Amino acid sequence: MYKSFEFTKKIKSFLIATIVIGAVLAVAGIAMNLDHTHRIWANVLLNGFFFTAIAMSAAFFVIVHVLGESGWHTSVQRIPEAMAMYVPIGGVFMLLVLVGMHDIYHWSHTEHLDEILLGKSAYLNPMFFSIRTVAYIIIWSLLVIWFRKTSLKTDTDANIKLFNRQRGIAGIFIVIFAVTSSTSAWDWIMSIDAHWFSTLFGWYIFVSTFVSAVAVVILLLFVLRRMGYMEHINDEHLHDLGKYLFGFSIFWAYLWVSQYLLIWYSNIPEETIYYVKRIQDFEGLFYANVIINFLAPFLILMARGTKRKLNWLIAASIIVLLGHWVDMYLAIMPGAIGHPEFGILEIGMTVFVLGIFLFMFFRNFAKAPVVPENHPYFKESFDYDNIR
Amino acid sequence: MQEKAFVSGYYLDDKDLVEGIRALQEKDIEIADVRTPFPVHGLDKVLKYRRSRLPRAGFVAGAFGAAIGFGFQAWVFTEAWPLNFGGKPFLSVPSFIPVTFELTVLMAAFALVFGFLISSKLGPGADNVIFDEEVTNDRFQILLEVSNGNSEQLQSELQSAGAEGVKHHDV
Amino acid sequence: MYVSPVREPLISGEKSYSKVTEDIYAPMTGKPGKLWFGGLTLALIALGFGLFSIFITVWDGIGTWGLDRTIGWGWGITNFVWWVGIGHAGTFISAILLLFRQKWRTSINRSAEAMTIFAVMCAGLFPLIHMGRLPLGFFIFPYPNTRDVWVNFNSPLLWDVFAISTYLTVSLLFWYMGLIPDIGTIRDRLKNGIQKKIYAFLSFGWTGSARHWARHESMSLILAGLAAPLVLSVHTIVSFDFATSVIPGWHTTIFPPYFVSGAVFSGFAMVLTLMIITRKAINLEDYITKAHLESMNKIIIATGSIVGIAYITELFIAWYSGVVYEQYAFVNRAFGPYWWAYWIMMTCNVITPQLFWIKKIRRSFAATFVISIFVNIGMWFERFVIIVTSLHRDFLPSSWSMYSPTWVEVGIYIGTFGLFFTLFFLFIRFFPVIAIAEVKSVLKTSSEKFIKKGK
Repeated sequence: MYKSFEFTKKIKSFLIATIVIGAVLAVAGIAMNLDHTHRIWANVLLNGFFFTAIAMSAAFFVIVHVLGESGWHTSVQRIPEAMAMYVPIGGVFMLLVLVGMHDIYHWSHTEHLDEILLGKSAYLNPMFFSIRTVAYIIIWSLLVIWFRKTSLKTDTDANIKLFNRQRGIAGIFIVIFAVTSSTSAWDWIMSIDAHWFSTLFGWYIFVSTFVSAVAVVILLLFVLRRMGYMEHINDEHLHDLGKYLFGFSIFWAYLWVSQYLLIWYSNIPEETIYYVKRIQDFEGLFYANVIINFLAPFLILMARGTKRKLNWLIAASIIVLLGHWVDMYLAIMPGAIGHPEFGILEIGMTVFVLGIFLFMFFRNFAKAPVVPENHPYFKESFDYDNIR
Repeated sequence: MQEKAFVSGYYLDDKDLVEGIRALQEKDIEIADVRTPFPVHGLDKVLKYRRSRLPRAGFVAGAFGAAIGFGFQAWVFTEAWPLNFGGKPFLSVPSFIPVTFELTVLMAAFALVFGFLISSKLGPGADNVIFDEEVTNDRFQILLEVSNGNSEQLQSELQSAGAEGVKHHDV
Repeated sequence: MYVSPVREPLISGEKSYSKVTEDIYAPMTGKPGKLWFGGLTLALIALGFGLFSIFITVWDGIGTWGLDRTIGWGWGITNFVWWVGIGHAGTFISAILLLFRQKWRTSINRSAEAMTIFAVMCAGLFPLIHMGRLPLGFFIFPYPNTRDVWVNFNSPLLWDVFAISTYLTVSLLFWYMGLIPDIGTIRDRLKNGIQKKIYAFLSFGWTGSARHWARHESMSLILAGLAAPLVLSVHTIVSFDFATSVIPGWHTTIFPPYFVSGAVFSGFAMVLTLMIITRKAINLEDYITKAHLESMNKIIIATGSIVGIAYITELFIAWYSGVVYEQYAFVNRAFGPYWWAYWIMMTCNVITPQLFWIKKIRRSFAATFVISIFVNIGMWFERFVIIVTSLHRDFLPSSWSMYSPTWVEVGIYIGTFGLFFTLFFLFIRFFPVIAIAEVKSVLKTSSEKFIKKGK
C-alpha cells in the first residue's frame, strides 16, 4: 500500500558522483591551503559537526513526539529516523577533528597556556576532550541504533509492548541528549573562543541544528515526492512541518537576541569581545545571519497558505538550511581563522560531507517501510484538521 | 422594526446536522443560520463560509503596533529625552526590541478581539434573538427565514431533512 | 477527527452533551457549601491582613520592609517573580497546548487561565508598592507631562511595565473570549430574573451561530499564536531585570529560557494543586482524570529537568569562566549563610519532579498534590536564592550584609494569597470552571462512553 523505497543504482550513482565531486574540490582546496591548516581543520569541524548535529536533532524530533504521545508524526517519522542513522558516520568526522585539534583549539597548546586557560585546563585538555568526543559518538550511536531497531521491529511485530519500550528508550535518550547536546557544543564549538563563555550557548546551538533538521526533513520529503514516494503525505502534515520551521526559527531568533542583548547591555569586555570580533571582521555575515534565519522564515511562513504548499516550504527550508550553515560558520571561524574565507575548500568540504549524509539517509530509508503501519496512532495521522 | 419570521429545526447529533444541511442545500433552500453548542468540524466548509478576515486585521494591527512601538521609542530616545545610559548609542535598537514586541502583540490582540466582536455583532447589551435555549446545551439548530408565508413548507422540508423538532418563530 | 482507541479516555463515565452542561453547571447552583464559605472567609482574612500591611508600607514608608544596602530587592521582588511565573501555566495550557492540538487541555484551560489572571494581578502589586509612593504609580507609563520627561525605555524595569500590562490584558481577553460561549450556556439554563439578566449581559449576545464559531476559532487560534511568544517574552523580560546587570549570579545568558521553563514548571504545579482539590470538591472527577494528571506531570518533569540542567550549566560555566566573583557567588549560595535556602531549592526543584519518572507516582493524585506543593516552595526559594544571595555578597566584601523580611513584607505576601484565593473562590462559584463547549467538542472522540441522543 505504501510504496517501499528502493535505493536504485541511479540514486546511488548520483550520490557517489556528488561525493566524488566534493572530494575532488575539497582536496583541491586542501592543496591550496597547506599553509593555513587551521582553515582546513575548521571546515572539517564545521561540516562534521553541522551534519552530525542535524542527524541527532532529527532523532530528537522523533523522540520528543514519542514522549508527547503524538500521532500525526507517524506519517513522516521514517525520514528523521533514517537521517539519524548518519550519526556513527558523522562521528568519524568528529574523530578527524581530534587529529586537527591543535589547529583549532588554542587551549590544546598546553605549553603556552595563560592564566585563564590554565584555570580551565582540568576540563579543556587534549586527553579529556578526546575521551569526551569519543564518548559522545559512541553513546549517541548506541542510542540512535537502539531506537531505530525497536522502531523497525514494530513493522513485523505489532505488540503494544514494543511501543511502550520505545517510550522508555525515548526517556533515556532525551535525558542523555539534553546534557550531551550542551556539553558537546561547549567542547567542540564554544571552546574555540576559549576565553569566552555563555551559559545559553549549548541551547542556542541545539535550536539552530534542530531548525536545520526540520528544514532537511522537508527537503528530503520534497525529493522523495518527486521520486514518487510518500504520496500519503497531505496538506495537514506539510502544515505541521511548516509550523515547526516557523516556530523554531522564531525561537532561534529569540535565543540569538537573548544572548546578544544581555552581553551588549552589560557591556563586560570579556564577553563583548565575542561580538566585537564578529561585527568588526565578519560584519556582513553577522547581520545576514539574523536577517536570513529570522526574517525570511517569519515573513514567508506566517500566512496559513504558505505552510501548506510544498514549494513555499522548500524555499523557506533552503534559506533556513543555508542560513544556519552560516550561523555555524560564524560560531566557528572567527575564533578558528580570524577573518572570513570562502572558496573551493569550503564548497568542496560541504558538498563532500553533505553527499555522505544523503547517501547514508537514502541507504537507511530503503532499509525499512516508509511508514510504521503497525503504530497504534498511525490512523490518526490521516484524519485531523489544522483549523484556520 | 421589520417583522421577521423564522423556522427552526434541531438535531441531537452533529453528523445528522451536516446531513440535514446537505439535504436542504440539494433542494437549493437558503439557510439563514446554523447554531451549535460547540464548533462543529468542517461546518464552515459545508456552509461555504468565506475564510475569516480576522487574521489579516491582526497582522495589520500588529505591524502598526510594531511601527508605533519602535518609532516612539526611537523618537523619545533621540529627540525628546535622550539619556546617556552606560555609553550606549541613543538609537539603541536591542533595547527597543522588548517594548516593540509587546506593543505588536497588544495591538494584534485588540484587533482580533474587537474585530471578532464587531463583525459578529456581539457585545455588552447586544440583543440577538435566542430561538431555542437548548442550543447552547445540546441541540444543533438550522434556521430558515420565512418569506411570503412559506412557513409550513419550510417546516416540512426541515422534517424531511431529519430534524427532531421543528418550530415557527416570530421576531 | 480520528482518535486511536488505544488512547486513554479524557472524560470518564457515560456522558451526553447535556450531562456535560449539567455537571459543570452544578457547582454554580444551590447554596454554596461550608467548604466554600470557609475558604472564602480565610482568603478574605488573609487579604485584609495584606491590605493592612500595604497600608503600613505606604503610610510609614518602605523602611518598614527589611530592605537595606546592598539588598534592595528581597521578598517583594521574589514574590513578584514567583506570582508571574505561576501565571504562565494558564497561557501555556490555553495557547501552546492549543497550537499542539492537545485535547486534554479542554478540562483545565478555563481555570488555568483564570489562575493566570489572578496570579498576574498579585504579581503586579509588587512593582507598584515597592516603589514606595503608590499614588504616583502612574509615573511608570509614558505620557506627555509637564515635567518634560519620558520613561526610560532602555530599562528592563520599564519593559516589565509593558510586558506585564500586555500579558494581563491579553490573558484577560483570551480568557473572556473563551468564556463567552459558556456564559451563553449558563444564561440559557437560568430562569428569568436578575441573575439571567447579568449573565445575558456578560454573554455579549452569544447565539452559537456557526459563523460566530468559525470566527471564534480563527480568533482563538491566532490569539494562541500571539499568546505563545507573549508568554515567553514576559518571563524573559522579567529575567532581563536580573540578567542585564553585571552582578555575578544575575548576569548570565541562560536566564531567559531558564526563567520561562521555571515559570511553566511552577505554574503547572499550582494548576495541579488547585485542580486536585477542586475536582473532588465540586465533583468534576470525570473531567479531570488520571490522563490529565499524567500529561501535566510529564510537563513538570520536562520543565523541571530543564531547570535542573540550567542549574548544572550555571555551576559548570561559573567554574569554566574563571571569573572569581562568579565562582564565589555559587560557592556562597551552597555553603554561605543562606545555604539552607539553596538546598531547599535544589531538593524541591531538581529531585522531587524526577519522581514522576515512576509511573505509579505520575498517576497518583495524592503524590502529585504533595509534589506540586514542594515544587512551588522550591521555585519560591529559587527566586529568593537568585535575588538575595547574589545581592548580599557581591564584589566588595566590606559591603556584604544580611537580609531578613519584616512582618510587613510577610503580611503582604500572605495578602496576595488572600487576593488570589478570594478571586478563585468567586470564580468557581460564578463561572463555569471547565470549558463546557470545548469539552463537548472532544466528547465523541475522547470520552469513555458517549451517549448519543436522537436517532
